[in-house]
Amino acid sequence: MTAQQTTAPVVRAVTVGRSQEDAFRLFTERIGDWWPLDRHGVYEGDTAGVFFENGEVVERSTSGESSVWAEVTGWEPPRRIAMTWHPGADPAESTLVEVDFRADAPKRTRVELVHHGWERLSERAAESRAAYDGGWTGVLGAYAELAGQA
Amino acid sequence: MLVVTNEAPIFAALSDPTRRAVLARLRSGPRSVGEIVATLPVSQSAVSQHLRVLREAGLVTDRREGTRRLYRVDLKGLTALRAYVDGFWDDVLGTFKDFAEGERS
Repeated sequence: MTAQQTTAPVVRAVTVGRSQEDAFRLFTERIGDWWPLDRHGVYEGDTAGVFFENGEVVERSTSGESSVWAEVTGWEPPRRIAMTWHPGADPAESTLVEVDFRADAPKRTRVELVHHGWERLSERAAESRAAYDGGWTGVLGAYAELAGQA
Repeated sequence: MLVVTNEAPIFAALSDPTRRAVLARLRSGPRSVGEIVATLPVSQSAVSQHLRVLREAGLVTDRREGTRRLYRVDLKGLTALRAYVDGFWDDVLGTFKDFAEGERS
């Protein structure tokens, strides 16, 4: 793999047996019911859920803390969501995530996720990250730091 | 894409803020230990130790050039991290599919 390939957008997709409207609604309104918080959350065992609300994706803890993972920058139901992406990190260190919902059939929707913007992360952003602890947000951040400069 | 069999050493290597700072010093190009030490409040022996951990994790390579040993970012580590990001989203989207198809509308 070349350096250019490592900075290329990450593109992953899944096809679900639902209408485009249902797929979009479940992805957003019900994110707290499906997002694997046991494996991928900021608060781990103390999590109280994750929500799309007020133009953000927010995880709350059982003690009332909250962590903004993303700011929604594009909201086009039932076709597309665009957002910044910085779970566990400062908004200045965000990358970008877009999710497209494409109807392949009345009850068949392709959900394509593009994670990009690795190049947005500057040397300064890497320096400000000194406090975070490993885990999935740390790994994503470390990838972003390296890929953004490679 | 290389097949990554064990990411644990990468996670362990990146869990230390000083090691991340050492790694960050290499992003703009190859550096010697001395050049890295000059920009960090850490001893030369500590930097050497961090570089060894980073090298064993596949995040850094080294090469002798004349009398100097130069360290640089290893694309193997980047590739492994990218595989992790790919796997992260596969896990998330797969979980969504399972939920969406199990949910009654």
